Amino acid sequence: MPLLELRNLYKAFGGLQAISNVSLTVNEGEIVSIIGPNGAGKSTLFNLITGVYRPDRGDILFQGERINGLTPDQVTKKGIARTFQNLRLFTHLTVLENILIPQHHRLKSSWLAAVLRTPTYLKEEEEMRKTALEKLSFFGPRLMSFRLHQPVYVLSYANRRRTEMARAMATDAKLLLLDEPSAGMNPKETKEITQIIRRFRDEGGYTIVLVEHKMNLVGEISDRVVVLDYGEKIAEGDYKDVVNDPKVIEAYLGRREE
Amino acid sequence: MRNTLLTLATLGIAVLGLYLLTQAEGSSGLLSAITLIFIWGIAAISLNLINGQLGILSLGHHGFMLIGGYVTALLMLPERERAPFRTRLLSDWARDHLDLDKWLRALGLDYVANSVDLKFVIALFLAGIAAAIVGVIVGAPSLRLKGDYLAIVTFGFGEIIRLLPNAPEVAAFTNGPLGIKGIPGNAGGVWWTFFAFLFVLWFLSRLKFSSYGRAFEGIREDEIAAEAMGVNLAYHKVLAFTISAFFAGVAGGLYASYLQSVDTQTFNFFVTFFLLVAISLGGLGSITGAVLGTAIVVLVRIYGGFLEEAYPAYVGYTGAALLMLGAFAFSAYIRKARRLRPVIETKHYIFGALGLGLLLVAFLFRGEPWMTQTVQFFGMRKILLAVILILIMIYRREGIMGRAEFSWKLVFGPREDIPTEEQRKQDAWLSNPDLNPDLQKEDDDASA
Ligand SMILES: Nc1ncnc2c1ncn2[C@@H]1O[C@H](COP(=O)(O)OP(=O)(O)OP(=O)(O)O)[C@@H](O)[C@H]1O
Ligand SMILES: [Mg+2]
Repeated sequence: MPLLELRNLYKAFGGLQAISNVSLTVNEGEIVSIIGPNGAGKSTLFNLITGVYRPDRGDILFQGERINGLTPDQVTKKGIARTFQNLRLFTHLTVLENILIPQHHRLKSSWLAAVLRTPTYLKEEEEMRKTALEKLSFFGPRLMSFRLHQPVYVLSYANRRRTEMARAMATDAKLLLLDEPSAGMNPKETKEITQIIRRFRDEGGYTIVLVEHKMNLVGEISDRVVVLDYGEKIAEGDYKDVVNDPKVIEAYLGRREE
Repeated sequence: MRNTLLTLATLGIAVLGLYLLTQAEGSSGLLSAITLIFIWGIAAISLNLINGQLGILSLGHHGFMLIGGYVTALLMLPERERAPFRTRLLSDWARDHLDLDKWLRALGLDYVANSVDLKFVIALFLAGIAAAIVGVIVGAPSLRLKGDYLAIVTFGFGEIIRLLPNAPEVAAFTNGPLGIKGIPGNAGGVWWTFFAFLFVLWFLSRLKFSSYGRAFEGIREDEIAAEAMGVNLAYHKVLAFTISAFFAGVAGGLYASYLQSVDTQTFNFFVTFFLLVAISLGGLGSITGAVLGTAIVVLVRIYGGFLEEAYPAYVGYTGAALLMLGAFAFSAYIRKARRLRPVIETKHYIFGALGLGLLLVAFLFRGEPWMTQTVQFFGMRKILLAVILILIMIYRREGIMGRAEFSWKLVFGPREDIPTEEQRKQDAWLSNPDLNPDLQKEDDDASA
């Protein structure tokens, strides 16, 4: 059974067909990249999977269960977490708080127990902190000491991207949807993030779907590449095959004038 | 450990100070000011839960307080005040049955019924519950509406609740425009409100620094992201409204008991307005700020009375002139602090000169009849508050405290968010290739 399965998805915004007839399966432990020119519908696809939008037609199955129609928080509880193309961190909260909030949905204590600080609640809180540090440790020590207690708005751009990824991981998801994880990073940071994404899979056991524009990153880590253009899937397969596909070249470069 | 001791010491000093104050002669004015700060403080902290922590502008807080006030009033009204001529519009049923004393005695809890204090605790709790139930209803639209639209809806709810007691059908419970009079005052005086205030402060700070509080703040920061991270928006919004309404109801009950009466004018929109001023002044989202802001607002309202007395006109002119000169100096100070050039603009010079001129006029013509006739400005306190608010909004939008909370760590350290020398060095080692040869190698790899 595939971890995630999209069956003939359609989504239109008014007259604009943002996604049309997209089918896709993602198996456990895979790293799948979605590429395509600007406006191809990559982010829209993520929004459909995570319940931000409802598909007009088609089905989304996660671990064999239909999840279309669920709200984003319910989707997250099922085990899908995402990052956003334009960072959406809790800007005025600290790094630690940012990574604690995604664990809130797993909290069993009631709000009254939380106010009274019952032993169960304190234990859960302790666990949450441990998990937060564990997720941050993927990114080395840079976010671990004093930065933990700094508000996000003082962080550098690359650190914010890292915080957002740690935040998605902290939801306890199986599947991570990363929307342009390397946007705004320099070559060195991109290289580092490439390795980290691979470690997400190898050490963290996550399955990963990512949207990327940086082809060297895509080529280096993807098990499979899917190409979208004008909302349609125009190619799928190995990185080398896909980039040499004439349809893909046409989508990126335009048709050669005859 | 140290922090607990400091907190206990502060509490001890507060209790001692309050005790000495209650014993001192002629302190009743100050004591009632303190009582009001506690009561309005509770209301402000609870409003801050919605407006500051959840980030939803709610304008219906007076409605919750009114419900708490009426419930407390009705339940606590002593037998002799229930005489038909005093409660003309109250239905016989409500007069005879909505009586906490009777309920308790029916349950055989006579020793509770004999203590006004215990009865008061129960009445306040029930007042909170009643307000909380309405809070659920008012909170529900917040699931579909956002921003200004939601603010208008909460305002509408607040006004509906305020006007309801006058409706003939409801008057059977509220005694209509006559209101309810003769409620027993806070039995223990200022102590009552003091401990209620401490409890609410404790409760809502605990809530704020719990996982639920973080979820609220996540919603404030970015609703879409919070939802994507698994926070159930509907549940948390309604929860915040309910808890906030509960404590608003308690504050309303305390206030009714402070005034020993309630009617429809007790809780009008100005109540919410003053609370909004208080929390905006103190810093939206900060409990410390809410308390500070409340203290300022209450003190201005109580001790600002001299602003509204009758004075000879030249006092008014002098006051206006001094204000203008003060504004002149203040603007120069701000511009200097912000390193703006020129420090004093031409228009500021003109403004300052006008102030000086006015001062001169007031001095030179102080004997003239048009200068000695008395004038009186009503509403000066409200104007002063409005001016303070405007200044805060222009020069420090985030309020006195911003989003920060008072904590002993903030004052005495250690500050965890500021790197120690060692951490700073380690950080530099991690990120600066000039110091760290490993990084240099990676750099070459990356560019290769
Ligand atoms: N909420 C919306 N309402 C209307 N149109 C939308 C909405 N969201 C996306 N679109 C449109 O759908 C199309 C696909 O957008 P999408 O953001 O998915 O592209 P993308 O592939 O992520 O592009 P990029 O590489 O620039 O991020 C675009 O034409 C966009 O304008
Ligand atoms: Mg996109």
